[in-house]
Amino acid sequence: MSQQVRVNINGQWIEVPAGTLLTDAARVAETHVPVFCAQSKLPPLGACRICVVEVGAPKLDAERKPVLAADGNPEIAWNPKVQTGCTTPVAEGMHVRTESAVAVKARKGVMEFLLVNHPLDCPVCDEGGECQLQDLAFAFGHDHSRMADRKRTFDSEDLGPIVKKEANRCIVCMRCVRYCDEVMGEDALTAHQRGVRTEISSFDRQPLACEQCGNCIEVCPVGALTALPYRFKARPWDLRQHISICPYCSNGCSVRLGVRGMEILRARGTEYRGVNQEFLCVRGRFGYDYVNSADRLTAPLLRVGGQLQPSTHDEAVAYSAARLRDIAATHGPEAIAFLGGEKLNVEEQYLFQKLARGVLGTDHIDARTRLVADVPGDAVLRATGGGRPALTFEQLLSAEEVLVLFDDLQGESPFAQVNLIRGQHQRGLHVTVAHARRVKLARPKFKGDWLGLKPGSELALMHALSRAALELPRPEGLPASVAAALDAANGGLAGWSAEKVEAETGLPMETIAAAAKRLHGASRKALVFGRAVLEHPQAAALLSAIETLAWATGAITSSRSSVMAHGAHHGSQGALDMGLTPGFLPGYVPLGDSAARAKVEQQWVATLPAKPGMSARQILEAAASGKVRALWIASDHWLRSAPDRALVEKAMATAELVIVNELFLTETAQRAHVVFPVAAFAEKEGVVTNCERRIQKAHRALSPRRGTRADWEVFQSVAQALGADWRYRTAEDVFREIARLVPGYAGLSVALLMPGGVCWAEERVAPQPAIAGSAAAPAGEGLWLLSGATLFAQGSLTQRSKTLSALAKEARAFIGLAEASRLGLSAGDSIALEGPGGSLSLPVELEDSVPPGAVFVPYALGAAGLNRLGMPSGSGLRVKVRKATAATAVQA
Amino acid sequence: MRGPFLFKDIDTPGLKGISRYRELGGYEALAQTMGKSSPEDCIEVVKASGLRGRGGAGFPTGLKWSFVPKASPKPRYIVCNADESEPGTFKDRELMEKNPHLLIEGMILAGYAIGSHLGYIYLRGEFEYIQRILDQAIHEAREAGVLGARVLGTDFAFELHTHLGAGAYICGEETALLSSLEGHRGQPRLKPPFPAVEGLYACPTVVNNVETLMCVPDILKHGAAWHRQWGNERSAGTKVFSVSGPVKRPGNYEVPLGTSMKVLIEDLCGGMRDGMKLKAIIPGGSSVPLLPASDLDTPLDYESMNAKGTFLGSGGVIVIDDQTCIVDALYNVTRFYTHESCGKCTPCREGTFWLSEIFERLLSGRGRMEDIDLLADIADNILGKSFCALGDAAAMPIQGALKHFRHEFEHVVTHQSSLVNRRKAEIAGVRA
Repeated sequence: MSQQVRVNINGQWIEVPAGTLLTDAARVAETHVPVFCAQSKLPPLGACRICVVEVGAPKLDAERKPVLAADGNPEIAWNPKVQTGCTTPVAEGMHVRTESAVAVKARKGVMEFLLVNHPLDCPVCDEGGECQLQDLAFAFGHDHSRMADRKRTFDSEDLGPIVKKEANRCIVCMRCVRYCDEVMGEDALTAHQRGVRTEISSFDRQPLACEQCGNCIEVCPVGALTALPYRFKARPWDLRQHISICPYCSNGCSVRLGVRGMEILRARGTEYRGVNQEFLCVRGRFGYDYVNSADRLTAPLLRVGGQLQPSTHDEAVAYSAARLRDIAATHGPEAIAFLGGEKLNVEEQYLFQKLARGVLGTDHIDARTRLVADVPGDAVLRATGGGRPALTFEQLLSAEEVLVLFDDLQGESPFAQVNLIRGQHQRGLHVTVAHARRVKLARPKFKGDWLGLKPGSELALMHALSRAALELPRPEGLPASVAAALDAANGGLAGWSAEKVEAETGLPMETIAAAAKRLHGASRKALVFGRAVLEHPQAAALLSAIETLAWATGAITSSRSSVMAHGAHHGSQGALDMGLTPGFLPGYVPLGDSAARAKVEQQWVATLPAKPGMSARQILEAAASGKVRALWIASDHWLRSAPDRALVEKAMATAELVIVNELFLTETAQRAHVVFPVAAFAEKEGVVTNCERRIQKAHRALSPRRGTRADWEVFQSVAQALGADWRYRTAEDVFREIARLVPGYAGLSVALLMPGGVCWAEERVAPQPAIAGSAAAPAGEGLWLLSGATLFAQGSLTQRSKTLSALAKEARAFIGLAEASRLGLSAGDSIALEGPGGSLSLPVELEDSVPPGAVFVPYALGAAGLNRLGMPSGSGLRVKVRKATAATAVQA
Repeated sequence: MRGPFLFKDIDTPGLKGISRYRELGGYEALAQTMGKSSPEDCIEVVKASGLRGRGGAGFPTGLKWSFVPKASPKPRYIVCNADESEPGTFKDRELMEKNPHLLIEGMILAGYAIGSHLGYIYLRGEFEYIQRILDQAIHEAREAGVLGARVLGTDFAFELHTHLGAGAYICGEETALLSSLEGHRGQPRLKPPFPAVEGLYACPTVVNNVETLMCVPDILKHGAAWHRQWGNERSAGTKVFSVSGPVKRPGNYEVPLGTSMKVLIEDLCGGMRDGMKLKAIIPGGSSVPLLPASDLDTPLDYESMNAKGTFLGSGGVIVIDDQTCIVDALYNVTRFYTHESCGKCTPCREGTFWLSEIFERLLSGRGRMEDIDLLADIADNILGKSFCALGDAAAMPIQGALKHFRHEFEHVVTHQSSLVNRRKAEIAGVRA
């Protein structure tokens, strides 16, 4: 594919791969060919014409030999017409002139045309100062306008709460319309009218009913589309800009934060940088504002006489250390447990577990908030290939077949979804989505296949997929142990007849077999899963089943893996890598491996617990029964996010000491004995590992809010107060230790970890494909409770963002039309949900994507606190649903 | 007999119906060809006949057909461009109105030659009544076994549909036509890939003009040499010219290519209306530069027109008399292109608008002498820089007018009024 060709640009020979577009080749030659309509994620359009250049080739005589000019060089036959560089692929021997009289006149002509109707309102335009049109007008436009006539004008328009449109500034490059359609799959924008009256708007000229990602604003090369949250807030040259990593999901998108004073005023992507480049979802682009919130905690709180009182750091540190020391001395280190940490940076996660294991000597540590089942800390890594080179977004984009297992990527992993949408639109990618709801990616417009399984039958579907895959020829080059395990698995699946599969999943076996066959047959493929699997009551069995399917279809081979797992937060992968799971030291080193443990003990100068600790759920149960007496919850809202609220309440009430690191006085913090106010993501340096296992550096964009400290500093202060000899001056010091000690991260240096970073790859755990667990859905009453993240409501941080919480609206439940009519519900009614642990009343909204027999409630919406309903058991949570009368429709 | 070839029988009563069409030899070419000549032979005959696209660009038809990839596994399409929107052109309208079966036969044969089993006739929105005529003819052809799964009893299947556009000039541009036919916004697409490789629904497609396709049956029936009895080496055959303006007998005339404009205007159209003198002629629809009366002897063929700096185009001959203001006429043309510019590319979208603004100012007496050079410079900045030929079509007439009639522009500036302006006078007369 990458055959090199030689091209002459303005007299300079360069070599680029065949097929490179002229504008990109010019960049290699360090020649600036301006573009407006061209955009790196969109196919060439050739509409704006600003990139016109002169193109020629050596003149040939009758014998097809080059004609030589007087100076001995070949004579060039220049095309009579200029050509657009953004649509012209280079060819061997091509000559290009960007600065000849013809090219310059053509370009200046286009520039002048672009300004014919463009208003002279740069002083009040948000784009002013970073406007491509302004820059180019300055570079080679005329210093006066020859246009002496009346300009064409439009009215300005608000397209919803995010997008402001000033059509007069529009240069009709169609980037916004095309990006919205081809990359976002939203198709929310269109061009009205034609010619000089062409105007971009929504189809019905109503507020945009879309993901509100604002990428249309990002790709707009002028100020035609601007962001209402940023409107008139700043001039770009007044902003300090720093590239951090988005704090929301596990995609690890680079965000360029624009900061003035102590306030973040905007977040943007950056074309050609980071995994996401210019792309950001609504959370990344507009969800930063919680950092600016006036509600942030700014002083440590200590519980005195039953009340939380403001205190000082020294006091809080001394108190915490003294209490921890007492409890450890009296009841042993096993009475102390550490929870949370999926929202921390890698260095902080490392110190959190080092504090637990190395200083206090407890292995009761688990970051995985919503864990329902007991899942070993290395299970996710094993299901994604054991550490073999991981699937990147780039590979996801260029895959032929992708199977998405049980996740609604729109809310869980927006950038992964964007790659799949763009892949199907531009590269012929085919997506199969297994999900009880017809989520966005499963809609017919994406031409994929939807496996709309019965809720609760996830494991049954996995077994059926594996069975179908195992009947196909085995991929070549399987390790012997895997081949044997797959044969055993095949035997274990013998009972899965087509009838049984259909009865369990509600899907015909042929449909499932076809999906398995597509995956098996594709040369470039991917399996994608996320929280729906990790937080499933049968998570461990599902992870084994995914590993089995991946080996059986060749999605994992002995040399690479094409399986991607999305955690809940930006630090989810780091939490696993850094051993925030019981039984595993950083780098998936089993605690039970005494030689490996001894090595760490020697480095840390500490004695580590030899016995694996308890999982999150066991810790909470132990705390509720008084066996665990101290809990440290690091930057996570457990009362809201853990699966069983009653259990967390009891655990926190019973524990003698609860330490919480928090940004806000959340309900979890309100019940603590010590609250450390911490710095937000933008306020600290650090390293973040995303779902591609890509390790990237996040830069500090502003100083920590006065009175707050980075989580790692809190951990260090307490460790020092406990007598540990920790001397980290910066997070980078911590990372140096990680690079020395942690397999996978070995040898890395922060200097290498600019946006784009590196993906770690080292086989850490051996394959174990297997069939486990009972796949039969338990009998039960009521509707299945389906839950998941939505774009606007992902967790406790989205609620603190003014922009996002305004978009999310109030808490509500979604129910399908058929189910609604069965229950006699119409839109606007309220329903009461009753689970094993409690009940909840919510207004109901009718939504056809929710299947009969189920109700969908987004995670963490408003004050709902879905975990009031209790812990799911078996294969999911069933709730009794009834129409609430006016009297009972009280917000829970 | 109004013409030697396409117009030979055009006024025969009842020609619209399949029976009269057959009496006059209709569908004989189809019967002669189906199963008897290979598709390759058909393409060779059309190539040898010298037939060139009659829609305006004059691209050799046989060559266009031969670009369709032989090995492509995709379906192929034959599309008839019946969008006839070029101002001054009204030939396809009469041809389809009176002889719809000839188009059907031409399309089946073209489909046979390129291996297409499905054809579309894309009609401009105003041709709704012609759609009814064509649909009736298609129905008759289907009943008669000419269209359908077995064309004339052979193994060749061919279906044909009509489609009405929504009223945009740009949809006469072949790639914009295909976008519109697919249901998208009617805007031109990037070439390459050319439609012969990736056209309708990204499948190999040939787009031909109505008149071109109507030439095909007789060429296949009588052979290439027969077609070459008219015209000359590079411009073979006949061409229908639509003459409008103040001549005695405006209308459609079919003449052999190479006939002098003088014969067309003075003999066939009977010359200028009484009391009027010829000032200029736009020979090929409003998109081409005009010629002054002194060039009346120019032969009507592709090469001779190019030699004079203009084009044969679609054959829409617009006659301009000496009482017409060239500036006003050009304003009229420019306004059309401003209105019809699709807006995709900058030079055409903004340039045509700007040109119209300047014309408006000139004609309202607020012109400046530098505006004349500005018009020329704007036209130059559009020409060859726009995405498709629409921009060129707007720019070239202005360049032609400035070349031959610059003094009229100068007069408008210096006197704040036109040198002559019959249109304005007539409008004033009507109002009075």
